Amino acid sequence: MSNNPIVWVHGDCLSPDHPGLQKYPNAPAIWVWDDALLEEWQISLKRIAFIYECLLELPVVIRRGNVATEVVNFARSHNADLVVTAESPSPRFAAICDEIEQSIPVGVLAVEPFLDYDGYIDLKRFSRYWKVAEKYVFDSSDRSL
Amino acid sequence: MTEDMQREFANREQMVAYLREQFPAAATRDDHISETLGGRKPALKVLEKVDAARYGKSRNFLTGAVTRLSPYLRYGVLSLAEVRDAVLKKVNNKDEANKLVNELAWRDYWQRLYAELGDGIWQDREEYKTGYDAKDYADTLPEDIAKGTTGLVCIDSFSRDLREIGYLHNHARMWMAAYMVHWRRIRWQTGAKWFLSHLLDGDPASNNLSWQWVASTFSHKAYFFNRENLEKYTEGVYCQKCPLYGHCDFEGSYEEIEKRLFPKAAPFENRSGSQSWQQGKRRR
Repeated sequence: MSNNPIVWVHGDCLSPDHPGLQKYPNAPAIWVWDDALLEEWQISLKRIAFIYECLLELPVVIRRGNVATEVVNFARSHNADLVVTAESPSPRFAAICDEIEQSIPVGVLAVEPFLDYDGYIDLKRFSRYWKVAEKYVFDSSDRSL
Repeated sequence: MTEDMQREFANREQMVAYLREQFPAAATRDDHISETLGGRKPALKVLEKVDAARYGKSRNFLTGAVTRLSPYLRYGVLSLAEVRDAVLKKVNNKDEANKLVNELAWRDYWQRLYAELGDGIWQDREEYKTGYDAKDYADTLPEDIAKGTTGLVCIDSFSRDLREIGYLHNHARMWMAAYMVHWRRIRWQTGAKWFLSHLLDGDPASNNLSWQWVASTFSHKAYFFNRENLEKYTEGVYCQKCPLYGHCDFEGSYEEIEKRLFPKAAPFENRSGSQSWQQGKRRR
C-alpha cells in the first residue's frame, strides 16, 4: 500500500470509474499525449479531439511528450512512491511501464473483466473462444444484477 | 518538463481551435472534427438508446439499429461488462441480447489476442488463401481511394465518411477492406493503418485482426462481396446514384467474382472449415 501515489491515465481506460482514480481519489493524476505514437500512427485531429473531450471529464493534468519521462517527472514533483495505472494489452504500454519502473514502482490495477473466467481459452478462432465464453458471459452478469 | 495543457474552454469550437494550434501535424493530415462527442456523459446517453433486440435483427443494414458505442468501448469510457449488464437489464429475455453480447465478445476476443500477440498483430497470421503471396500486394494507399475519387459511389462515400466523421458501419468497413485487398490488391496493413488514422474507435487489435480476416491471413478464406449484397444492405443508397451501376467492379455472382479475383486459388467452397459472411455466419 502506497502512502503517496500518482495515477497515470492512458487511452485504454478513460472512465471516471478508472480503478486508480477510484482507489486513490485524492492522488494527483496525469495523462500524457504520446507524441511519437501520434506520428507513427498518423492520428488525425478528430481522434485527438474525441480523446481530449474524454480527458476534460477526468481529474487529470494533461501533458505531452515522452510518456515515461513525463510520468516520472510528474511523480517526482509530487514526491510520489508509486505510479498507479490500469491494465492494458498494448505492448507499448508494457514498454512504458518498464521504463517508468527504472525510476519508480508501477502498480497495475485490473479493470472489471467481461468474462468471470480465469482458465485457458483457445484463441485460434473466435468460435473456439465463444464456445467457452458463452458459458460465462451471461452468468457473470447474473451475479451483478 | 512540458507545461500543462489547457483544460478550460468556453465551448467545443474553442477547444478545437486550441487543438489545431497544438497539433498542427494532425490537423494537416486531416482537419475534420467528428460530431461524436467524447466523454462519459455522452457515452451514457448513447448506451441508453441501445435497443438490443432491434440491433440483433438489423445490424447488417447501414440504416440498422447499430449502437455507436464503439468509440467509448475503445477508450474504456464504458467497459464491456457494464454495457452487457445494461443491455441485459433492458431486454425481456436473454435471447434478445444474444447477438449484441456476442459482438461485445468479439472485442474481448481481439483484446485477448492482442495480449498474446503484441506487435505480431501487424504481421500476417497465416498465408493468404487467395492464390497470391504477400509480396503481390501493394504497400501504398492509392490516391483515388484516399481522396474518394474512384468513381464508385459506395467506395468514395465510405472514404469520405472515414475522413470526415471517423466512423464506418461494420459492413462498410468490410466492403472497403475487401475492395482494397482483393480488387485493388493492396496489403491489408496499408488499409489498416489508414483506418487507424481516422476511426474514432480505431483499436489496433480489433482493426488489424479484422483486416486480416477479410484478407484471409486470419481466416480460412477471403471475404468478398458482390453488388447485390452491397445494394441490399445499403438499401440502394449508393447504387441508385452510381454512374457505374450495372457495370461496376462488383457485378456478378459470387462464383464469377471469385474466379475473377482469385484465378490461381482453389475454390473456397471446397475447403474445409470455410466461413462465409454472405451465407449468414457472421463475425465481429
